[in-house]
Amino acid sequence: MHELSLALEVVDIAQREAGKQGVTAVSEILIEVGDLSGVEADAFQSALELVVKDSVLEKALVNLQRTPGTGKCRSCNVGFQMKTRVDTCPNCRCFPSEITGGDEFRIVSLTID
Amino acid sequence: MCDTCGCGNPDEFKIHDRDGHHDHKNAHDHQHDHDHDHGHHHTHDHDHGHDHHHGHSPSHSHDHAPKKVINLNMDILSENNRLAERNRGYFEGKSILAVNLVSSPGSGKTTILEKTIQALISSRKIFVIEGDQQTARDADRIEKSGAPAIQINTGSGCHLDAKMIHLALKKMEVDSQSILFIENVGNLVCPAMFDLGEQKRVVVISVTEGDDKPLKYPYMFQSSNLCIINKTDLLPYVDFSVDTAVNYAKQLNPDLEFIQMSAKTGEGMPEWLIWLNKL
Repeated sequence: MHELSLALEVVDIAQREAGKQGVTAVSEILIEVGDLSGVEADAFQSALELVVKDSVLEKALVNLQRTPGTGKCRSCNVGFQMKTRVDTCPNCRCFPSEITGGDEFRIVSLTID
Repeated sequence: MCDTCGCGNPDEFKIHDRDGHHDHKNAHDHQHDHDHDHGHHHTHDHDHGHDHHHGHSPSHSHDHAPKKVINLNMDILSENNRLAERNRGYFEGKSILAVNLVSSPGSGKTTILEKTIQALISSRKIFVIEGDQQTARDADRIEKSGAPAIQINTGSGCHLDAKMIHLALKKMEVDSQSILFIENVGNLVCPAMFDLGEQKRVVVISVTEGDDKPLKYPYMFQSSNLCIINKTDLLPYVDFSVDTAVNYAKQLNPDLEFIQMSAKTGEGMPEWLIWLNKL
């Protein structure tokens, strides 16, 4: 996925929210990256490091919170952990499964001093 | 540079208008006024609550004022999604059918569009937004087929986003009751995540690609409405199994429709035109 544009979006959101608070720096940002969100967390973190210069996030601690993927089988209703979107049900081998968690990609919070 | 797909800054894009002018856009003007005054130290007053909303915060030094945590819980794609909804409202208000065509490079999207325009232009007004990293070659090809086209060059970016479509719509007046084809940048990864405001998304694969492509790029097949399997005239010469590709894609997206097509010979074009006309 396109981690660089997503990193730029994060900077824009942080700029806007910091502006609302009347501050010019954010000390910490908590971002939730689900394992099934389609975002490569490592690539996203590298991209974010590239684009924070001269922004409110320049000195911010970036805290990525990984959320594991979870799913539910559409046939037998068994819930299970999903490593990828194409995992089959461990109980009945059915496919596809309904994704119940791990597709989040969002800014949870910003911390300002 | 994007580590996953190798693309660069997606905001350095330009839109060619048909008079040969183009605009450069850079949407990320950051503030450059920084407060570098970190010299104020406050004694920590233990009479007030030290409010920790999250347990993840690393070592706190206790010689500064309490931190303020702003809980946002904001989807990072929310701005793109907001603009996509605006585009969608514009299309609905003018009864424009907007179709987003996605595929890997070289699957035949532009040829499909040329043949579609030639077949429909006498009965429907058609407009095209072309997305490529560089050159206006595709827009030139489309215009020769008879439909107005506008080219967006994404520069080093690897997908179109809702803002680019919004700006392109300001440059090109799209008539009511028309079809607007948006030919996305050839890439089966990044465009999947970016809603442009289209009503329908069409993924094109060609038989010269692997028939396991749906499994390799599940997001794109899960987010599309129709899958065109193109270049079927080459099936005798390649190891592509249509059944295998269809089965994999249906496992990912049971609602996905399929049309087998050869834009070169015309096979499948009638089904495609029927599919478009019923929308």
